Amino acid sequence: MFSQFKYVKAQTIDEVLTYLGDRDRCVKILAGGTDLMVLMQRNLETPDCLIDIKGIEEMKRLDFVQGVGLFVGASVTVNQVTESKIILEKYQALGQAAKTLASYQLRNRATLVGNVCNASPGADLAGPLLIFEANVHIASLDGRRVLPLAQFFTGPKKTVLAANELVTGISLPDLSSGDQSLYLKQARVKGHDLGIVGVAMRLTLDQKFLVALSAVAPTPIRLLELEEFLNAHPRTPELATKAGEMVQKLIHPISDVRASAEYRLLIAGVLVKRAVTLLTTREAN
Amino acid sequence: MPEKLFRHVGKSPTRSEAIEKVSGRANYVFDLEFPGMLYAKVLHSPYAHAEILSVDLSEAKALTGVKAILTGEDLPYLLGLYMLDKGILARGKVRYIGEPVVAVAAIDLRTAEKAISLIKVDYKVLPAVLTIDEALKGEILVHKDINDLEYVKNVFFPQPDSNIASWNKAIKGDIKQGFAEADVIIENELSLPAVAHVPLETHVAIAKADPFTKRVEIWTSSQSPFGVRQMLAKALGISQGDVRVVVPHIGGGFGGKAGIHLEPLVVVLSRAARGKPVKIIATREEEFSQLPSRAAMRGRVKTGVKYDGKITASEITFDWDSGAYADYGVNVGRAAQYSGAGAYEIPNLEINSRTLYTNKVYSTAYRGFGHLETHWVIERQMDLIAQALKMDPYEFRMKNILREGSVTISGEIINQYSGRPDQCLAAVAKEIGWTGYRSKEEREVSFKTGKVRGKGIACLQKAPAMPSNTATSALLQFDADGNVRVMIGAIDMGQGAMTVMEQIAAEVLDMPLEKVRVSSETDTDKNPYDWSTVASKYTFMGGKAVTRGAMDMLSQMKEVASQILRCPVDELTHGQEKIFIRQNPHKAVSYQDIAMGYLYDNGNSIGGPIIGRGVYIAEGLTFLDPDKGQGLPALDWTFGAHGVELEVDVETGEVQILKISSAFDVGKAINPKLCEGQIIGGVLQGLGSAFMEGFKFSAEGRLLNPSFMDYKIPTSQDIPTIVVPILIENPQADGPFGARGVGEHPMISVPSVIANALYDALGINFYELPLSSEKIALAIARSEAEHKEPLSE
Repeated sequence: MFSQFKYVKAQTIDEVLTYLGDRDRCVKILAGGTDLMVLMQRNLETPDCLIDIKGIEEMKRLDFVQGVGLFVGASVTVNQVTESKIILEKYQALGQAAKTLASYQLRNRATLVGNVCNASPGADLAGPLLIFEANVHIASLDGRRVLPLAQFFTGPKKTVLAANELVTGISLPDLSSGDQSLYLKQARVKGHDLGIVGVAMRLTLDQKFLVALSAVAPTPIRLLELEEFLNAHPRTPELATKAGEMVQKLIHPISDVRASAEYRLLIAGVLVKRAVTLLTTREAN
Repeated sequence: MPEKLFRHVGKSPTRSEAIEKVSGRANYVFDLEFPGMLYAKVLHSPYAHAEILSVDLSEAKALTGVKAILTGEDLPYLLGLYMLDKGILARGKVRYIGEPVVAVAAIDLRTAEKAISLIKVDYKVLPAVLTIDEALKGEILVHKDINDLEYVKNVFFPQPDSNIASWNKAIKGDIKQGFAEADVIIENELSLPAVAHVPLETHVAIAKADPFTKRVEIWTSSQSPFGVRQMLAKALGISQGDVRVVVPHIGGGFGGKAGIHLEPLVVVLSRAARGKPVKIIATREEEFSQLPSRAAMRGRVKTGVKYDGKITASEITFDWDSGAYADYGVNVGRAAQYSGAGAYEIPNLEINSRTLYTNKVYSTAYRGFGHLETHWVIERQMDLIAQALKMDPYEFRMKNILREGSVTISGEIINQYSGRPDQCLAAVAKEIGWTGYRSKEEREVSFKTGKVRGKGIACLQKAPAMPSNTATSALLQFDADGNVRVMIGAIDMGQGAMTVMEQIAAEVLDMPLEKVRVSSETDTDKNPYDWSTVASKYTFMGGKAVTRGAMDMLSQMKEVASQILRCPVDELTHGQEKIFIRQNPHKAVSYQDIAMGYLYDNGNSIGGPIIGRGVYIAEGLTFLDPDKGQGLPALDWTFGAHGVELEVDVETGEVQILKISSAFDVGKAINPKLCEGQIIGGVLQGLGSAFMEGFKFSAEGRLLNPSFMDYKIPTSQDIPTIVVPILIENPQADGPFGARGVGEHPMISVPSVIANALYDALGINFYELPLSSEKIALAIARSEAEHKEPLSE
């Protein structure tokens, strides 16, 4: 790492936004730093200025309001997510996914918002956030906006964020009790690894399926067609098998150093089938 | 000697350096800093094969804080263990992506890195040799000067105008006749990719060159301080006495630190920087893509057998994709020459083992070198033959396994002291409850549950791969209070050499263990000579040297005691830290009173400091006949076997090892806990090769997975449910207390036993490593599609 950068530990969001608004500087937000530091170490990112947001009170918010939902501030770590009782109870898929993200040590630093902003096609937390219809809270000197997560990703490592914008947090609507969800991930090893395919699936109290996949497309994706199929058909034992076959027609994964497209397709089918089976049998019980 | 008479041997004291290490106080080269020290970085080749047209250093030289910059043109030195084929930096030509081209020493890492980014190199890209077949074709030569390279003659056989760094052959009997006698001939091809050693501590070295003399001092994370000293002196044209190499604690080696690697580079940088100390630390990415790996290999095997399961002939070709420089690679190829048919008696045999130059990161020794690779071919072939004969692979192995009176492929006769591979195989088969392959019907029933189980077995053998004159030495000295300090030349990189040598010295001297200490730092200026800490040979050889050194102390003490006690030496014996008269044990003199010389009441003194000297040089080894590979290459064979039971998820291809049992005939376990530690560690490392490890290259020869993001090694969650080490003890007559080495062996045949068990589970044979979940799941899917029924017989 040979970039020389200014380090600022911001106290307020406005302070961060002022730095981000400075067009003459290359400013990077430092939350967990688990992606940024690797890039800087390899000189792939050479920012002039790092703004640490971990000192800002609003960013540390992790709270749930009955009837409104959950808010996860931008400096909330993944381990905080795995330890949140409300997340483990209500937003099960998110809690499960958080537990599979990297290693315990990295989860101590890595943040939920960082996982989303990094916009990796394989981001473990993106699938669960998509099925909970999360919203991204964005701020800049021009004002604030809230965007559905489904509109946030634009490509591998690309988002709609402008250079002067900051994600302050992510919110999830409240769920009725009895809402069931899960996250299944296949990796190359059982320990600490990136997912080859991640499947997040939810069955709402009013019997609607929501499905999202990671690592099978340029961005994490919701599979609306598969959801329609699942919602339109009776809960027979064959439903899971058919869903597994259908997902293979809906996605077009690539081959890379981690897995072949062929294996990704196969695994997507297996995990979708298993997810449907698990949710519907859990339902029946 | 009956077991109960041993005081320390066969016991399991905790490793002597354990507290120092776990409390974080142990010093590694990583920790060392010297006043005024500079930091080095290198510029790597971006091309697999290219001519260096020009190097522009002007901007880098102008950078404040840069103290030295060197290119290959400044360094007309050639290095190599067996073939002098490698410069300190690339000269004229680059031969792999990652090869160091320019080196910078600067006041800090950031400045060195910045300077590297300012260097401009013009290359003319050349077509590259990236596969075994391209290498064999020889249309493009990795080393155009192969005919002129200096090498160790009659041991290695580079072929003129080719990419063959060495072609080693073994011929026994007459394979034509052997195949004519066979009822069935089975041919297969198996292969495995290059893998990395992944030591916890990457390569790191510091050098300080005296600007006024030829003297250089080096601190390095190395397995071979004396090897570094010898090769560096030769390359630089200075005497070995001009080179001091110090090795403090090292964070793992696995063979990757057995040669000479970063040491020459920091030496020349320190010289260029007027003697300032220079440190270089390989990053994890450099550890993968610049420093050597284990070679990829392709094995083609053809075996003739009788219907009753007797092997009549075997013809095996091993082709090693060994990368840009020979390093240890040629010796890996040579190991296949005398051990490449496994622990079996083969009456008629031909082995051709070719170490090939390719334009990829070069290869070196890796734990049990050559053996995990050749046993991947042999132990899979043994199962494939058994399948063809419809015979239990256990029974088939037992029909051909080496026994007393068998003749090995290099002509050695196995005797009652050679160890018992059959007992190892029997022990693991019993431990996993082996009853033969499951039937097709049994497979089909369990397949429907989504999880299928299978069992497998495999054997292995290995002898130390080393020159026939390999030697070691030990010095034992008393402190005035009667404690003993032992100095050895070996490196303890986690295997427990220091502890085992303490046990042996304390045993021979009949002393409390805590009064004997082996010093943990090896310094070529002070420690006695050892060839290199490799090859699972140190317990054997070092054990002999330390035994002799301790006996030397005893005989010196008896000489002195004979005067004090007025008794002939042959009436004296020792025990409880005393020399005494056998008939009158109360007539005794303590070690402490003799340690520094004996003082009489009147002030007279005799004797003097007791210094024990023990040496060992390999006994009876010969060069191998160049045409047929016949001779005695093996100091001692350690035989072993693995048995495994595993469970496969038939949809995802994931495997869980339910139990793996590994037995080794160690002769005598000097420290059973350390032997078991080696077995568990080696098995886990072998599982990495079996399931997940392997270099992937782009079409241009770029390593695609040079980091832990995409080069996976087993984690705590990937380990077997149960690992059962079994120690079998048929003593080696000439080993210390009967012991043989077992450091490397546990890794060998682990991939083979896994693939054999996968066949039992799935009815599918695998021929390429690694056995990733992906490979297994896709093979199951294909097999289902082809057969419309899940499992073939």
